[in-house]
Amino acid sequence: MAKTEKREEKKVVETTRSLSEESDRRELERTWVHGTTMMFLFAVPIMEGIGLYLVPLMIGTRNVAFPRMNAYGYFVYLFGGLLLYGGFLLNIGPDTGWFSYVPLAGPAFSPGKRVDIWAQMITFTEIAALVGAVEIIATVFKQRAVGMSLNRIPLFVWSQVVTSFMIIFAMPAVMLASGFLAMDRLVDTHFFNPAEGGDALLYQHVFWFFGHPEVYIIFIPALGFVSSIVVTFSRRKVFGYTPMVLSLIATAFIGFGLWVHHMFATPLPQLGQSFFTGASMMIAIPSGVQIFCWIASMWGGELHLKTPLIFVLGFVFIFVIGGLSGLMLAAVPLDLQVHDTYFVVAHFHYVLIGGAVFPLFGALHYWFPKWTGRMLSERLGLWTFGLMFVGFNLVFFPMHQLGLKGMTRRIYTYLPETGWGDLNMLASIGASVLTIGVLLFIINFLYSRRAGVIAGDNPWNADTLEWSTSSPPPSYNYVYLPTTQGRHALWEKTEDAPVVVGLKTDCREVLATNVMDAEPDHAYQIPGPSIWPILLALATAESFGVGIFTPWAFPIGAVLAFAAFFGWFWSDPNSENREVKERKVKPKPEPSVKLAQQEEGA
Amino acid sequence: MSARRVLDVSGLPHHSFEKDSVWWGNWGLLAIETTMFAIAIATYFYVRQNFQLWPPPLTDTQPPELRPLPYLTVATLNMLLLVISCVPMILTDLAARRGDAKRAHIGLIACLLFGALSITLRAFEFSAVRFRWDSNAYGSIVWFILGMHLAHLITVTLEAFLLTLWTSMRKFDMKHRVDITVVAVYWYWVAAIWILLYAIIYLSPRFSY
Repeated sequence: MAKTEKREEKKVVETTRSLSEESDRRELERTWVHGTTMMFLFAVPIMEGIGLYLVPLMIGTRNVAFPRMNAYGYFVYLFGGLLLYGGFLLNIGPDTGWFSYVPLAGPAFSPGKRVDIWAQMITFTEIAALVGAVEIIATVFKQRAVGMSLNRIPLFVWSQVVTSFMIIFAMPAVMLASGFLAMDRLVDTHFFNPAEGGDALLYQHVFWFFGHPEVYIIFIPALGFVSSIVVTFSRRKVFGYTPMVLSLIATAFIGFGLWVHHMFATPLPQLGQSFFTGASMMIAIPSGVQIFCWIASMWGGELHLKTPLIFVLGFVFIFVIGGLSGLMLAAVPLDLQVHDTYFVVAHFHYVLIGGAVFPLFGALHYWFPKWTGRMLSERLGLWTFGLMFVGFNLVFFPMHQLGLKGMTRRIYTYLPETGWGDLNMLASIGASVLTIGVLLFIINFLYSRRAGVIAGDNPWNADTLEWSTSSPPPSYNYVYLPTTQGRHALWEKTEDAPVVVGLKTDCREVLATNVMDAEPDHAYQIPGPSIWPILLALATAESFGVGIFTPWAFPIGAVLAFAAFFGWFWSDPNSENREVKERKVKPKPEPSVKLAQQEEGA
Repeated sequence: MSARRVLDVSGLPHHSFEKDSVWWGNWGLLAIETTMFAIAIATYFYVRQNFQLWPPPLTDTQPPELRPLPYLTVATLNMLLLVISCVPMILTDLAARRGDAKRAHIGLIACLLFGALSITLRAFEFSAVRFRWDSNAYGSIVWFILGMHLAHLITVTLEAFLLTLWTSMRKFDMKHRVDITVVAVYWYWVAAIWILLYAIIYLSPRFSY
């Protein structure tokens, strides 16, 4: 009896062992593709995507400054995502973590193409992020509504501008990190090879010089969502507009001085570490200023507790907890103790889900009526929030404790003797609750899109310009561009606020205003849709995709890219207008605008 | 029904030479690339800490060379060439603003010649650095900086080439006149940043140890 049992036990152990190597890798690969997806394919693109949609509406213009670049950026992002997931589904996904540290990710320890796919995908998606950032900056600087001087820009738009500047100064770092890594692997350079004078720590420096600002690139747009929602549902002007804007800018600056706190476990000079501890604690100040400004706004206002605001309140609660564990991690001794444990996992999920995903869900509930013309169900919305909030805390709060108990990151199984089982079970239950919450949102979304209550132009009685056009907005946003008289454009709109006339309505003509005071400067046509952006994106994809196999892909890609540029440059920029004229389709004027008399606006 | 006040903008011009969105877009690109070069320079000096001698001794020659400094002649010539090429670019820029098609074309063609010559000379600069990209980390970073700058040199020359084609074969229109002034900014940047990179690659190893 005992003998059979033993034999069976042995058999089980052997089977487990033979399976373990492959399934180990597969499980961990899943975790790393999750990390890579969330950081590179979800968090930054969705924030920039919402920005690219809302910024033109919010500053009262018809489109972004470079719509064809926009298309190019989108396709590059798409191909980058396909590359990563193609690799993952073919079982050649990256297996060295979302940050792919050398020497593990270097040519000596990771042969094969897995890391190359990761490195090229990073370079890809960062091109898309950079393109979007330049567009947002040019759009906000040159195309604001007349009267929207710099000190009247909505806080959401400020957050997008600040984020865009951060992208411009942070993303090149990760492109260099992934580029150097790819070159070390493909053409035998020695950037990270200590044997030939390279340096493995250099990778961490360059990577985290991007990696820490990245957190704020994800977080600052979320602050923009929160400001919009708080103002609308408190029914009062925002408390402390100037400190809020300055806090955003301060966060962006300090965000570049924190990267070494990801490297406290490396042999760096202690003086340097102290500096980064100081900076890491300092960044709590601008965040705190904003939290207090929101609380003051809500305090002095007339609160309307709708789903978007509830999500914001959830954000404040979760983010403060994440911020506190952040302060703990900023201290070198504590960081060393919990480095690479679940405490860190708990911390960054609190700041990223609490700081970005909860505001994002608030934003989705808030702007859904603008996007679709219909309202989401308030009841389902509250249920979504409740399940997500409870589920989230159930998943991630126990992880603090697990981390302190010594559970390390990047494992998917552990021995029963460790005693981590109960808290992990709690986390698993929480994950299910969280999932149900998100599913409920999807159901609410699909249902309300078809059968929700018709929203009208401004269902929340909000203050920013996007609510003055119809819901959903026409593709040209505004027939007659609005002008603004104050920070809260719709609340401070005077009876005789003029609208802009004299722009062509049969082509994509926009008004350029000057940077400081948004006075009309010139009117110009932005180009229509075109095939060339996607061809250029394909040329880019050829370089990076085939580049995994041969460096010749780059000169070939350069020639293809030049051909695409030539076509882009040489083709008719206004192909769309011709079509409009042929079909005799003219945009309908907005019924609310009645032009009885023309006179010069003040 | 009250009268609606309007702001009539139909009289506004359609282009501006003063910081329009293309100008901002171009500066966006240049800010990105300046950051990229800044991090490349940081990498250059970071890697340098790992070397006793910079550049490292060349051991595969007879006799071995203790300080194989990068050769100066071609590189210095090319740096001066790039700086001088800004003169025809400034003249082109001014001609485009004035609307002087003939001078703009002469200027653009002069710039193209300068660009082509500079690209050709750059090919020799790679061998003036005494290591290959795969010899050691010194070779890797120097080749990288040379290569990235070459990529910009080629890009800006091709951009000028496309504008030359359009304005001579099609029309010397306002849109492309504005484009010429923006490409000029790019051109100055390519030349200016090279002065710094030249000093780092060719001069800085000479003033050490």
